[in-house]
Amino acid sequence: MIALVLSLVLSQGYAPARQGQDPLDHDREMRVQAIGKQLRCAVCQGVSIADSPASMARAQLDKVRELVAEGKSEQEIYDYFVERYGEWALMEPKKTGVTLGLWLAPVLLLVLGVLLIISSTKKPAPAAPTTEAPAAEDDYLAKVRADLEK
Amino acid sequence: MKRIVAVIAALSVVLFVVYVMASGFGNDPHAVPFMMKGKPAPLFSIKRLDQEGTINLKDYLGQPVVLNFWATWCGPCKMEQPVLDWAANAYRGKAVFIGIVFEDTEQNTRSFLQQTGAAYPQVFDPKSTVAVDYAVSGVPETYFINRQGIIVKKYIYPFGSPDEFNDQIREILE
Repeated sequence: MIALVLSLVLSQGYAPARQGQDPLDHDREMRVQAIGKQLRCAVCQGVSIADSPASMARAQLDKVRELVAEGKSEQEIYDYFVERYGEWALMEPKKTGVTLGLWLAPVLLLVLGVLLIISSTKKPAPAAPTTEAPAAEDDYLAKVRADLEK
Repeated sequence: MKRIVAVIAALSVVLFVVYVMASGFGNDPHAVPFMMKGKPAPLFSIKRLDQEGTINLKDYLGQPVVLNFWATWCGPCKMEQPVLDWAANAYRGKAVFIGIVFEDTEQNTRSFLQQTGAAYPQVFDPKSTVAVDYAVSGVPETYFINRQGIIVKKYIYPFGSPDEFNDQIREILE
Protein backbone atom coordinates (compact mmCIF):
# COMPACT_ATOMS: atom_id res chain seq x y z
CA MET A 1 0.00 0.00 0.00
CA ILE A 2 2.82 2.40 0.96
CA ALA A 3 4.61 1.54 -2.29
CA LEU A 4 1.45 2.27 -4.26
CA VAL A 5 0.94 5.63 -2.54
CA LEU A 6 4.60 6.55 -3.04
CA SER A 7 4.52 5.58 -6.71
CA LEU A 8 1.39 7.70 -7.23
CA VAL A 9 2.90 10.69 -5.42
CA LEU A 10 6.32 10.43 -7.09
CA SER A 11 4.87 9.96 -10.54
CA GLN A 12 3.49 13.51 -10.44
CA GLY A 13 5.66 16.05 -12.20
CA TYR A 14 7.32 13.73 -14.69
CA ALA A 15 6.56 13.14 -18.34
CA PRO A 16 5.32 9.61 -18.98
CA ALA A 17 7.85 7.40 -20.75
CA ARG A 18 7.34 7.42 -24.48
CA GLN A 19 8.59 5.07 -27.11
CA GLY A 20 10.61 6.72 -29.89
CA GLN A 21 9.92 6.04 -33.55
CA ASP A 22 11.04 2.78 -35.07
CA PRO A 23 14.69 2.91 -36.22
CA LEU A 24 15.42 3.36 -39.91
CA ASP A 25 17.50 0.86 -41.88
CA HIS A 26 21.00 0.17 -40.52
CA ASP A 27 22.97 2.78 -42.50
CA ARG A 28 20.48 5.60 -42.06
CA GLU A 29 19.99 4.79 -38.36
CA MET A 30 23.78 4.97 -37.89
CA ARG A 31 23.61 8.46 -39.40
CA VAL A 32 20.72 9.38 -37.09
CA GLN A 33 22.70 8.28 -34.03
CA ALA A 34 25.90 10.02 -35.20
CA ILE A 35 24.02 13.28 -35.78
CA GLY A 36 22.15 12.84 -32.49
CA LYS A 37 25.50 12.62 -30.64
CA GLN A 38 26.32 16.12 -31.92
CA LEU A 39 23.03 17.73 -30.80
CA ARG A 40 22.29 18.92 -27.28
CA CYS A 41 19.13 17.78 -25.49
CA ALA A 42 16.89 20.82 -24.79
CA VAL A 43 15.78 19.67 -21.35
CA CYS A 44 18.99 18.04 -20.03
CA GLN A 45 22.34 19.27 -18.77
CA GLY A 46 25.10 18.75 -21.31
CA VAL A 47 23.78 15.49 -22.71
CA SER A 48 23.28 14.74 -26.38
CA ILE A 49 19.86 13.73 -27.69
CA ALA A 50 21.30 10.34 -28.65
CA ASP A 51 22.47 9.69 -25.07
CA SER A 52 19.57 11.17 -23.11
CA PRO A 53 16.68 9.02 -21.92
CA ALA A 54 14.44 12.12 -21.65
CA SER A 55 11.22 11.97 -23.57
CA MET A 56 11.89 15.36 -25.18
CA ALA A 57 15.31 14.13 -26.35
CA ARG A 58 13.56 11.17 -28.01
CA ALA A 59 11.25 13.62 -29.72
CA GLN A 60 14.26 15.58 -30.97
CA LEU A 61 15.93 12.36 -32.15
CA ASP A 62 12.70 11.43 -33.92
CA LYS A 63 12.94 14.77 -35.71
CA VAL A 64 16.48 13.90 -36.81
CA ARG A 65 15.15 10.53 -38.01
CA GLU A 66 12.39 12.28 -39.94
CA LEU A 67 14.84 14.68 -41.57
CA VAL A 68 17.27 11.86 -42.45
CA ALA A 69 14.37 9.91 -43.97
CA GLU A 70 13.52 13.00 -46.05
CA GLY A 71 17.08 12.87 -47.43
CA LYS A 72 18.32 16.03 -45.68
CA SER A 73 22.09 16.48 -45.40
CA GLU A 74 23.87 16.59 -42.03
CA GLN A 75 24.38 20.32 -42.40
CA GLU A 76 20.68 20.88 -43.11
CA ILE A 77 19.78 18.91 -40.00
CA TYR A 78 22.23 20.86 -37.81
CA ASP A 79 20.86 24.08 -39.33
CA TYR A 80 17.31 23.04 -38.38
CA PHE A 81 18.31 22.82 -34.70
CA VAL A 82 20.64 25.86 -34.74
CA GLU A 83 17.80 27.90 -36.23
CA ARG A 84 15.70 27.02 -33.18
CA TYR A 85 18.17 26.87 -30.30
CA GLY A 86 21.19 28.74 -31.66
CA GLU A 87 24.68 27.25 -31.56
CA TRP A 88 23.83 26.10 -28.05
CA ALA A 89 22.19 23.12 -29.77
CA LEU A 90 25.58 21.86 -30.95
CA MET A 91 27.55 19.72 -28.51
CA GLU A 92 30.72 21.13 -30.06
CA PRO A 93 30.37 24.79 -31.04
CA LYS A 94 31.45 25.84 -34.53
CA LYS A 95 35.06 27.00 -34.82
CA THR A 96 34.27 30.34 -36.46
CA GLY A 97 34.05 33.99 -35.37
CA VAL A 98 34.23 34.71 -31.64
CA THR A 99 34.05 30.98 -30.91
CA LEU A 100 37.20 30.43 -32.96
CA GLY A 101 38.93 33.06 -30.79
CA LEU A 102 37.90 31.13 -27.69
CA TRP A 103 39.27 27.91 -29.13
CA LEU A 104 42.57 29.57 -30.05
CA ALA A 105 43.02 31.83 -27.00
CA PRO A 106 44.34 29.12 -24.60
CA VAL A 107 46.80 27.86 -27.22
CA LEU A 108 47.97 31.40 -28.00
CA LEU A 109 48.37 32.17 -24.30
CA LEU A 110 50.38 28.99 -23.79
CA VAL A 111 52.68 29.75 -26.73
CA LEU A 112 53.17 33.35 -25.60
CA GLY A 113 53.87 32.22 -22.05
CA VAL A 114 56.48 29.73 -23.20
CA LEU A 115 58.11 32.37 -25.41
CA LEU A 116 58.20 34.84 -22.51
CA ILE A 117 59.74 32.25 -20.19
CA ILE A 118 62.37 31.31 -22.77
CA SER A 119 63.28 34.93 -23.49
CA SER A 120 63.50 35.86 -19.80
CA THR A 121 65.61 32.86 -18.76
CA LYS A 122 68.01 33.04 -21.71
CA LYS A 123 71.49 34.08 -20.43
CA PRO A 124 73.16 36.89 -22.37
CA ALA A 125 76.13 35.68 -24.49
CA PRO A 126 79.51 36.43 -22.84
CA ALA A 127 81.17 39.49 -24.30
CA ALA A 128 84.25 38.81 -26.45
CA PRO A 129 87.50 39.95 -24.79
CA THR A 130 88.83 43.10 -26.34
CA THR A 131 92.49 44.03 -26.59
CA GLU A 132 91.89 47.51 -27.83
CA ALA A 133 91.70 50.38 -25.42
CA PRO A 134 88.36 51.98 -25.04
CA ALA A 135 87.83 54.67 -27.61
CA ALA A 136 87.05 57.40 -25.19
CA GLU A 137 88.70 57.37 -21.79
CA ASP A 138 87.85 59.43 -18.86
CA ASP A 139 90.13 62.50 -18.61
CA TYR A 140 90.98 61.77 -15.01
CA LEU A 141 91.94 58.15 -15.76
CA ALA A 142 94.05 59.25 -18.70
CA LYS A 143 95.92 61.67 -16.46
CA VAL A 144 96.49 58.95 -13.79
CA ARG A 145 97.71 56.55 -16.48
CA ALA A 146 100.12 59.20 -17.82
CA ASP A 147 101.47 59.92 -14.30
CA LEU A 148 102.08 56.21 -13.68
CA GLU A 149 103.96 55.81 -16.88
CA LYS A 150 106.38 58.61 -15.95
CA MET B 1 61.39 45.17 -28.70
CA LYS B 2 60.51 41.46 -28.97
CA ARG B 3 59.42 41.48 -25.37
CA ILE B 4 57.14 44.47 -25.89
CA VAL B 5 55.48 42.72 -28.85
CA ALA B 6 55.02 39.54 -26.77
CA VAL B 7 53.52 41.47 -23.86
CA ILE B 8 51.12 43.36 -26.15
CA ALA B 9 50.07 40.09 -27.83
CA ALA B 10 49.53 38.39 -24.45
CA LEU B 11 47.55 41.36 -23.18
CA SER B 12 45.36 41.31 -26.30
CA VAL B 13 44.54 37.64 -25.79
CA VAL B 14 43.86 38.15 -22.07
CA LEU B 15 41.64 41.18 -22.80
CA PHE B 16 39.70 39.17 -25.41
CA VAL B 17 39.11 36.32 -22.95
CA VAL B 18 38.12 38.78 -20.18
CA TYR B 19 35.71 40.53 -22.59
CA VAL B 20 34.05 37.25 -23.57
CA MET B 21 33.76 36.13 -19.94
CA ALA B 22 32.49 39.55 -18.78
CA SER B 23 29.83 39.58 -21.50
CA GLY B 24 28.57 36.28 -20.09
CA PHE B 25 28.05 37.64 -16.58
CA GLY B 26 24.39 37.85 -15.63
CA ASN B 27 23.39 35.21 -18.18
CA ASP B 28 21.88 31.99 -16.94
CA PRO B 29 24.22 29.25 -18.24
CA HIS B 30 21.36 26.74 -18.10
CA ALA B 31 18.93 28.90 -20.07
CA VAL B 32 18.11 27.48 -23.48
CA PRO B 33 18.49 30.21 -26.13
CA PHE B 34 15.30 31.10 -28.00
CA MET B 35 15.88 31.83 -31.66
CA MET B 36 12.32 31.63 -32.99
CA LYS B 37 11.48 35.24 -32.17
CA GLY B 38 10.67 37.13 -35.36
CA LYS B 39 10.36 33.94 -37.41
CA PRO B 40 7.20 32.56 -39.03
CA ALA B 41 5.27 30.26 -36.71
CA PRO B 42 5.63 26.65 -37.94
CA LEU B 43 2.29 25.50 -39.32
CA PHE B 44 0.62 22.41 -37.93
CA SER B 45 -2.57 20.48 -38.26
CA ILE B 46 -3.42 18.23 -35.31
CA LYS B 47 -6.35 16.46 -33.77
CA ARG B 48 -8.55 18.28 -31.29
CA LEU B 49 -9.11 16.71 -27.91
CA ASP B 50 -12.01 18.77 -26.63
CA GLN B 51 -14.18 17.89 -29.64
CA GLU B 52 -14.02 16.21 -33.06
CA GLY B 53 -11.90 17.65 -35.86
CA THR B 54 -8.45 19.11 -36.26
CA ILE B 55 -6.87 22.49 -35.65
CA ASN B 56 -4.93 23.92 -38.57
CA LEU B 57 -2.85 26.96 -37.67
CA LYS B 58 -3.07 28.19 -41.25
CA ASP B 59 -6.79 28.83 -40.71
CA TYR B 60 -5.94 31.44 -38.08
CA LEU B 61 -3.44 33.50 -40.04
CA GLY B 62 -4.54 37.13 -39.91
CA GLN B 63 -5.50 36.86 -36.23
CA PRO B 64 -3.30 37.08 -33.13
CA VAL B 65 -2.73 33.59 -31.74
CA VAL B 66 -1.77 32.45 -28.24
CA LEU B 67 -0.26 28.95 -28.18
CA ASN B 68 0.09 27.35 -24.77
CA PHE B 69 2.21 24.17 -24.49
CA TRP B 70 1.32 22.17 -21.40
CA ALA B 71 1.01 18.69 -19.90
CA THR B 72 -1.27 17.12 -17.30
CA TRP B 73 1.67 16.07 -15.08
CA CYS B 74 2.95 19.66 -14.91
CA GLY B 75 1.96 21.44 -11.67
CA PRO B 76 2.62 25.02 -12.86
CA CYS B 77 0.48 24.31 -15.97
CA LYS B 78 -2.47 23.50 -13.74
CA MET B 79 -1.80 26.64 -11.68
CA GLU B 80 -1.97 28.93 -14.71
CA GLN B 81 -4.99 27.26 -16.27
CA PRO B 82 -7.58 29.55 -14.56
CA VAL B 83 -5.72 32.61 -15.87
CA LEU B 84 -5.64 31.22 -19.41
CA ASP B 85 -9.33 30.28 -19.21
CA TRP B 86 -10.10 33.83 -18.06
CA ALA B 87 -7.93 35.26 -20.87
CA ALA B 88 -9.57 33.10 -23.55
CA ASN B 89 -12.95 34.54 -22.52
CA ALA B 90 -11.69 38.10 -22.02
CA TYR B 91 -10.00 38.21 -25.44
CA ARG B 92 -12.67 36.30 -27.36
CA GLY B 93 -12.86 37.77 -30.86
CA LYS B 94 -9.52 39.57 -30.41
CA ALA B 95 -7.14 36.60 -30.25
CA VAL B 96 -7.26 32.85 -30.84
CA PHE B 97 -6.18 30.57 -28.00
CA ILE B 98 -4.90 27.03 -28.60
CA GLY B 99 -3.66 24.61 -25.94
CA ILE B 100 -1.12 22.01 -27.12
CA VAL B 101 -0.57 19.03 -24.86
CA PHE B 102 2.77 17.28 -25.37
CA GLU B 103 4.99 14.83 -23.49
CA ASP B 104 1.83 13.19 -22.20
CA THR B 105 -0.66 10.50 -23.06
CA GLU B 106 -3.93 11.10 -24.84
CA GLN B 107 -5.79 9.13 -22.18
CA ASN B 108 -4.38 11.28 -19.34
CA THR B 109 -5.25 14.43 -21.23
CA ARG B 110 -8.78 13.38 -22.10
CA SER B 111 -9.62 12.44 -18.51
CA PHE B 112 -8.03 15.70 -17.26
CA LEU B 113 -10.08 17.79 -19.70
CA GLN B 114 -13.26 15.90 -18.79
CA GLN B 115 -12.75 16.98 -15.18
CA THR B 116 -11.70 20.57 -15.80
CA GLY B 117 -13.34 21.45 -19.11
CA ALA B 118 -11.69 23.65 -21.71
CA ALA B 119 -12.38 27.31 -22.39
CA TYR B 120 -10.49 27.13 -25.71
CA PRO B 121 -9.45 24.43 -28.23
CA GLN B 122 -7.04 21.79 -26.99
CA VAL B 123 -4.95 19.61 -29.28
CA PHE B 124 -2.64 16.68 -28.63
CA ASP B 125 0.90 16.48 -29.99
CA PRO B 126 1.53 12.72 -29.64
CA LYS B 127 5.19 12.67 -30.66
CA SER B 128 6.04 16.22 -29.60
CA THR B 129 6.84 17.10 -33.20
CA VAL B 130 5.09 20.47 -32.97
CA ALA B 131 6.90 21.17 -29.68
CA VAL B 132 10.27 20.45 -31.36
CA ASP B 133 9.31 22.66 -34.34
CA TYR B 134 8.60 25.51 -31.90
CA ALA B 135 11.81 24.84 -29.92
CA VAL B 136 9.90 24.24 -26.71
CA SER B 137 12.31 23.58 -23.85
CA GLY B 138 9.96 23.13 -20.89
CA VAL B 139 6.38 23.35 -19.67
CA PRO B 140 4.44 25.54 -19.53
CA GLU B 141 5.51 27.75 -22.40
CA THR B 142 3.24 30.25 -24.13
CA TYR B 143 3.92 31.60 -27.62
CA PHE B 144 2.48 34.86 -28.89
CA ILE B 145 1.98 35.00 -32.67
CA ASN B 146 0.94 38.21 -34.43
CA ARG B 147 -1.53 38.69 -37.31
CA GLN B 148 1.27 38.15 -39.83
CA GLY B 149 1.96 34.70 -38.39
CA ILE B 150 5.26 35.80 -36.85
CA ILE B 151 6.33 34.59 -33.39
CA VAL B 152 6.66 37.77 -31.35
CA LYS B 153 7.75 36.17 -28.08
CA LYS B 154 7.45 33.20 -25.79
CA TYR B 155 6.68 33.31 -22.10
CA ILE B 156 8.34 30.55 -20.11
CA TYR B 157 6.65 31.11 -16.74
CA PRO B 158 3.19 30.14 -15.55
CA PHE B 159 0.76 33.07 -15.57
CA GLY B 160 -0.03 33.99 -11.98
CA SER B 161 -2.59 36.71 -12.64
CA PRO B 162 -4.66 38.32 -15.41
CA ASP B 163 -2.43 41.43 -15.21
CA GLU B 164 0.63 39.30 -15.97
CA PHE B 165 -1.14 37.89 -19.01
CA ASN B 166 -2.38 41.32 -20.18
CA ASP B 167 1.21 42.60 -20.16
CA GLN B 168 2.34 39.78 -22.42
CA ILE B 169 -0.47 39.74 -24.98
CA ARG B 170 -0.47 43.51 -25.61
CA GLU B 171 2.23 43.34 -28.28
CA ILE B 172 0.37 40.98 -30.62
CA LEU B 173 -2.90 42.89 -30.41
CA GLU B 174 -1.39 46.09 -31.85
